[in-house]
Amino acid sequence: MDPETLEKDALAAVAAASSLDDIDRVRVEFLGRKSALKLALREVRDRETGMTLNALRERLETAIDARENDLRRVELDRQVSEERVDVTMPGTPFPRGHLHLITQIRREVEDIFLGLGYTVVDGREVETTHYNFDGLNFPQGHPTRSPLHTLFLDQQTVLRTETSPSQIRTMEAQEPPVYIVSLGRCYRRDTPDATHTPTFHQVEGLAVDEGISLADLEGTLDYLLKTLFGEERRTQFTTNYFPFTEPSIEARVSCHICDGSGCPVCRHSGWIEVGGAGMVDPNLFEFVGYDPERYTGFAFGWGLERIAVLRHGIPDLRELWRNDPRLLRQF
Amino acid sequence: MRVPMSWLREYVTVDAPAEEIARRLAICALDEVERVREVGVLDVDDNLGRFLVGKVLAVERHPSADRLRVCQVDVGEGDARQIVCGAWNFEAGATVAVALPGALLPVLEAPLDERELRGQRSRGMILAEDEVGLGEDHAGIMVLPDSLEPGTPLDQVLPIREEVLDVTPTPNRVDLLSMVGLAREVAALFDGELHVPEADDPELVDAEPVDVTVEDFEGCPRYVGRVFRDVAIGPSPQWLRSRLYLAELRSISNVVDVTNYVMHVWGNPLHAFDLTRLSGGRIVVRRARPGEELRTLDGTLRRLHPDDLMITDGDRSVALAGIMGGEESEVSDETGEVLLEAANFEPVGIFKSSERLGLRTAGSNRWEKGVDPYLAEQAAVHASRMIVDLAGARMTGHVDVHSGLPERPVVRHRPERTDHVVGFPIDPGEQCSILEGFGFEVAPNWDVSVPTWRARDVTREIDVIEEVVRTVLDRVPFTMPLRRHVKGHLTKEQRLRRLVEDVLVGAGLSEAYTWSLAPSDPHRDAIRLPDPMTADQAVLRTTLLPGLVEAVRTGLDAGFDDVSLFEIARIYLPSGEPLPDERWRVGAIVHDGYDVMKGVLETLYAALHLELRVRRSSHPSLHPGKAAETDAGWLGELHPTLLEGVWGAFELDLETLFSQVPERIVYEDVITYPAARQDIAVAVDEDVEVGALVDAAREAAGPILREARVFDVYRGEQVGAGKKSVAIHLAFQSSERTLTDEEAAELRGKIVAALAERFGAEPRA
Ligand SMILES: [Zn+2]
Repeated sequence: MDPETLEKDALAAVAAASSLDDIDRVRVEFLGRKSALKLALREVRDRETGMTLNALRERLETAIDARENDLRRVELDRQVSEERVDVTMPGTPFPRGHLHLITQIRREVEDIFLGLGYTVVDGREVETTHYNFDGLNFPQGHPTRSPLHTLFLDQQTVLRTETSPSQIRTMEAQEPPVYIVSLGRCYRRDTPDATHTPTFHQVEGLAVDEGISLADLEGTLDYLLKTLFGEERRTQFTTNYFPFTEPSIEARVSCHICDGSGCPVCRHSGWIEVGGAGMVDPNLFEFVGYDPERYTGFAFGWGLERIAVLRHGIPDLRELWRNDPRLLRQF
Repeated sequence: MRVPMSWLREYVTVDAPAEEIARRLAICALDEVERVREVGVLDVDDNLGRFLVGKVLAVERHPSADRLRVCQVDVGEGDARQIVCGAWNFEAGATVAVALPGALLPVLEAPLDERELRGQRSRGMILAEDEVGLGEDHAGIMVLPDSLEPGTPLDQVLPIREEVLDVTPTPNRVDLLSMVGLAREVAALFDGELHVPEADDPELVDAEPVDVTVEDFEGCPRYVGRVFRDVAIGPSPQWLRSRLYLAELRSISNVVDVTNYVMHVWGNPLHAFDLTRLSGGRIVVRRARPGEELRTLDGTLRRLHPDDLMITDGDRSVALAGIMGGEESEVSDETGEVLLEAANFEPVGIFKSSERLGLRTAGSNRWEKGVDPYLAEQAAVHASRMIVDLAGARMTGHVDVHSGLPERPVVRHRPERTDHVVGFPIDPGEQCSILEGFGFEVAPNWDVSVPTWRARDVTREIDVIEEVVRTVLDRVPFTMPLRRHVKGHLTKEQRLRRLVEDVLVGAGLSEAYTWSLAPSDPHRDAIRLPDPMTADQAVLRTTLLPGLVEAVRTGLDAGFDDVSLFEIARIYLPSGEPLPDERWRVGAIVHDGYDVMKGVLETLYAALHLELRVRRSSHPSLHPGKAAETDAGWLGELHPTLLEGVWGAFELDLETLFSQVPERIVYEDVITYPAARQDIAVAVDEDVEVGALVDAAREAAGPILREARVFDVYRGEQVGAGKKSVAIHLAFQSSERTLTDEEAAELRGKIVAALAERFGAEPRA
């Protein structure tokens, strides 16, 4: 057997192979157990011949492998060129759930305040009148204290009418500085209609520290409103009255429909009321044992449903409690 | 409260247009101000110039129409105009309101034209109040005072063109439920000139005593009573009718209109009694007697409560103090003698009575907010003047009963404290002038005396600060708190609650919100509301399941039979303490039965780095053969009676669940030494639970058995009746070395032996 001739023949056969079957046959012919090369290798006695033949074997293997790869690639190209799907066909359905819109808003508000370095407090829903009214400076005879407006469990126990009792509990439990938000269910004796449900959600914010000012409150709410409703919005703050804040203000955001020029949605004012806020009344500080001369603070309490209405155009709040899949799946 | 601008501008001189006044009041003074409403006739193309005062020179019957008359009317043009008119409430000599041809009237589509009416030319129209938006009366035309010159522009006489504000003050600002209060506020905010109406108190004629006794000064701190005789009850003059109409107060008769008008001016509700109907002839203010009743002037017989404050005539109640008068003592057309009440009532009692009786009136709405007791006198004087002037009455008696009027609060103010609270400097001089504008007196040492009409509301320095701040609200800069301490993160429980939500959403469940209050609850001691709004919302729930069942049913009714829902919310367990034990739960209903639900739950547990281990159990809402429990709650298939179809469900206590979640996951080497994987299959009796097999395998092999997962259960002839073959995938792994085949075989042998011993399990090939 002449290695040179063998190599020449083998490489010619490799080059001539035009299918994977061909190359298999070439491999058997030149490298198989009964091939001339294998037989010659078996006969080798001297080291030099062995090295020459082994080197030849490696070269042939490399050449055959390379050719096989090329042919495989050609075969694959042919195959994929014939495979087609209708790329516009729908995919295999995969179940997808949805967070409730109010949860999405809750998280968004939480995240905004986490980013500002606030912590989130889970307040109680069943509260004593002490925390729900007295500690919040509600005067005796205030309408909210009436069983016509509040759901009482007994003389001293109510379903909280706002998230504010968590302010008092937090301040009782820790010294300033306090930076918290508290979100959750509140309850009022409201007959359900498009804009009222007897259970609703509030976000309560409270910041108490040395040097907290009304300007800080307005800056914080401006930031919150622009984050929720868009940077292009303008904010305005008007005077108001709440038992637990003094001075009290109400936040307004420029109307998303008319951008301030006036339309039915904003009742032609150009502004939409979002919720109440104010500087923590010094009486609350006295109630929890903070020094009202040293510390000032701000608080606000807004309805999450209000944000849902203003931002997503929910026409009827009762829909948020009906759990109709067609509504849940929208958000 | 409705505020006709022409009326307001009588009390305050400012240049600002109504829109600007509304805007500034909304920012600095009031809770709400509605859009300025324009009423009456249009102010375009000199339309107002076509409305004039006219003097009727002659009136004749229309020759060919029974119901019409032909009038000659002087409107200051020299020659009289002929106007055909259908009204009969005037005669020659009357002063009337006339619209000339071309006038645009709110009740007409097209401009008024000159035309023939049954052959008689009509060159204008004599106006009734409804035709120019000044009332609803169409029975006759408006008759004006004879002192008016013909040709006088009508809009100088009557508010035929008006802008009306609708304002809602915050509950602490009852002083702004009055024209005077609003005028004062506008004067201060716009640096305008205030003209508080000043009426001359009529002289007493043939003075007589007025017998007023206040038995309860706490409920009635002040009672001004005045007696009028020879009162001629009749309609009010047109200007008064028009003002009341624009203020949305109904015109009834001159005396009743005066009480409403003066209330609107001063904010102090008044009441007029027919003196002859007070059988005791005097006034006694006291609480209601047990069982006492009163028919109020709306015709309703009211059963009174001993806390209700009553105006009585000494014998019986004649009015619910501050809320509504009695029908019997009401001023009527026959009334000739009047007792005018200008009192002051304490707010909380009025609020409670009006709420208990479900009776809210313009009076109670003011009293319940705390009216300034000093107002009673000004209101009494103003009303007396008008009763004398409009009803030709003589004032014969006056009494003012009170237990001492409150002192004005004096508050020490530090101007720099305002700067501290508001966050930017406000010049002390400006602070002083703001306060003085609102009627406060500021002494050189900054002792601030509060005006009587703010005495309830402003008692502390912070209240004084608010007065300054609200005035400069639109100048407050936006800043952020300067923080020295920051701690902004969720608690572990809050973080895990979000994780649970996300995992369940990822598993295809949608989040439902259902009510905390349920019609009923399976817990025997669940907390019931003593006075629920509706039977549907009567009990504080102790389980989320019924709400979720209801929610799924909503989906089914809407045509969705594959709804999967979850909810994370509180439940309220009776605790024996005053407040219930509020616990967070996650509940879910999953379409298609136990297996799918269990898969969801396993995913949830895996996400929490927990292993779901369940025990057979029972639950009234679950299928008896498909119910289980975990340490944190229950799971199973809903009992078929609850919902049509096959549904898995679970409800877990989150605190219990989260208490087992590891604080942090510590690295374990699961890469370097690969696991040895083996499958085994054993035949066991049908009633052996696969969970028990896995538990036994773990026990036999120890922690080196990293994974044991049942992947097939086979029943059939090859296994034999009453038996099943269970295939379990095993993975043995050490983090210290590669296990040899021999070691793996030995562990497998131990497991097979243990299963054989405990369950009679036979290995299968
Ligand atoms: Zn708008």
